[in-house]
Amino acid sequence: MAENKMTFDALVVGGGIAGLQAALDLADQEFKVAIVERDASIGGKMIRLSKVFPTLDCASCITTPKMASAAHHENITIFTYCEMKRLQKLAGGFSASIQQKPRFVDELKCIGCRQCEYECPVYVADPEQGGFSARKAIFVPFSNAIPQVAVLDVENCMLCGKCEKVCPTKAVDYLQQPKDFSIEAKTVILATGIGITPLENKVQYGEGKIPNVITALQMERLLAPHGPYNRVLRPADGMEPDSIAYIQCAGSRDKSMGVPYCSRVCCMYAIKQAMLLSGALPLADVTIYYMDIRAFGKGYEQFYQNAKAMGIQFVKAKVARLTEGENGAVTVHYESQEADGGVTSAEHDLVVLSLGMVPDWNPAGYCEVSTASDGFIRSVKPKLAPTLTDTEGIFVAGAAAGPKDIVDSIAEAGAAAMSAAEYLTVLNSRRRAVA
Amino acid sequence: MRDSTMDNNDKSKKQAMKQLRAERKEMIKAASARMKIQKKKIEAIKEQLNNGERTIPEVAEATGLEPAEVLWFVAALKKYGEVVEGEKDGSFFRYQLAAGLSRAE
Repeated sequence: MAENKMTFDALVVGGGIAGLQAALDLADQEFKVAIVERDASIGGKMIRLSKVFPTLDCASCITTPKMASAAHHENITIFTYCEMKRLQKLAGGFSASIQQKPRFVDELKCIGCRQCEYECPVYVADPEQGGFSARKAIFVPFSNAIPQVAVLDVENCMLCGKCEKVCPTKAVDYLQQPKDFSIEAKTVILATGIGITPLENKVQYGEGKIPNVITALQMERLLAPHGPYNRVLRPADGMEPDSIAYIQCAGSRDKSMGVPYCSRVCCMYAIKQAMLLSGALPLADVTIYYMDIRAFGKGYEQFYQNAKAMGIQFVKAKVARLTEGENGAVTVHYESQEADGGVTSAEHDLVVLSLGMVPDWNPAGYCEVSTASDGFIRSVKPKLAPTLTDTEGIFVAGAAAGPKDIVDSIAEAGAAAMSAAEYLTVLNSRRRAVA
Repeated sequence: MRDSTMDNNDKSKKQAMKQLRAERKEMIKAASARMKIQKKKIEAIKEQLNNGERTIPEVAEATGLEPAEVLWFVAALKKYGEVVEGEKDGSFFRYQLAAGLSRAE
């Protein structure tokens, strides 16, 4: 990256499934596309999942080919570990000021052999495994990360020199500095995705202090083939749970959490995980405490009915609070909304919170795109052209515009790419007409 | 000529590393302290797993560590090939050192 300014037809901000799809759809039409990704790897939330509903496809198996297609596409350039500091509208396009954070590893020399990681003596909680296992102070983010390049975490580095010594390609560079550069593009697609409400935010559910209360994303890792334990175990003591409960709307439809809306996908991912648990732990009881089941998509209702037929318990109830039980169990206190109703409680070995979806990026201060009252990027024509933002030439795709499942994210990414392609074509033909 | 250029490069790199160590002094100190504590805990866990297969609660009881912490280290050691999962014992799994397993074989 010797040049300080690069020019592309389109800039895609975010390298998750929506960003990758939008970039691929534009690149296949011979537009030159730049993807800017904040993480050290592309893939977004989807690559961190175990399987996806309602097909139960392995998330890695269907995401990795998309990631690889984008990484190898001659019309796509991917910039990982980058932050967009500012996006400004210019005459006839946009200029993005980007800062690439130092990996302290030369991207061109690193071969992803992980010898540095094995040699490093410092263990660090690995967020890629829900914190249930460790990585080292120098590490390749995860097994199918793209690029397969190590990153050094300076906060946990002792500068002992072991990684530099063991690296076969001399890729470790302790003196690497941040790199500032700019990307100029005629159009921009924002595909900045979603975050999850923190486990610690809900006082009634223990603020993250009750052992064996975990998030649904942590459960994804427990269920994933390359998970922290390679099986489903309780994080507090390694016991295989006999009874697992899901608390729906643990961070959505809850004004006290500041998330009054439905996050749309929690019902389906809880049902999916419950099905996967039935396979992983055939003798375990799985209970889903729900306010309403929203199985809105193609094949989703059948998926829900299949889960009921498999013996997964659905209890219509609002869970008021969770407390620590005996021997690592969690007591669920709830108000039943079924036949007899009433306030009651039940004990479970492991409790999973279906937390809410919130925007992962706020454009305020970065670019002239406004957000709606829920914090997601505002679509100015939500019915007829959902990818249009209030800035001409900037489009939005995927969960950046609001909670969305993978199917809708991919469909909307295609729509954003189509809108961007149309915008580019009109712009280019106008320029030709003037010339 | 080339030798003197390399010497100069080595000198400037040493100088830059010295400056970097000074800049990151507090972080290095904290990371080193954490590593030393981790090392002790890992040694205690490995000592237990060297005596044959053990469950997480058994290792926790023998070492005085929290079961959650034992599991965290065992998961990490398993990831880096130092520990292997063994037989199931009730609701728990047994673990042992990979080195111990190869000796037994």
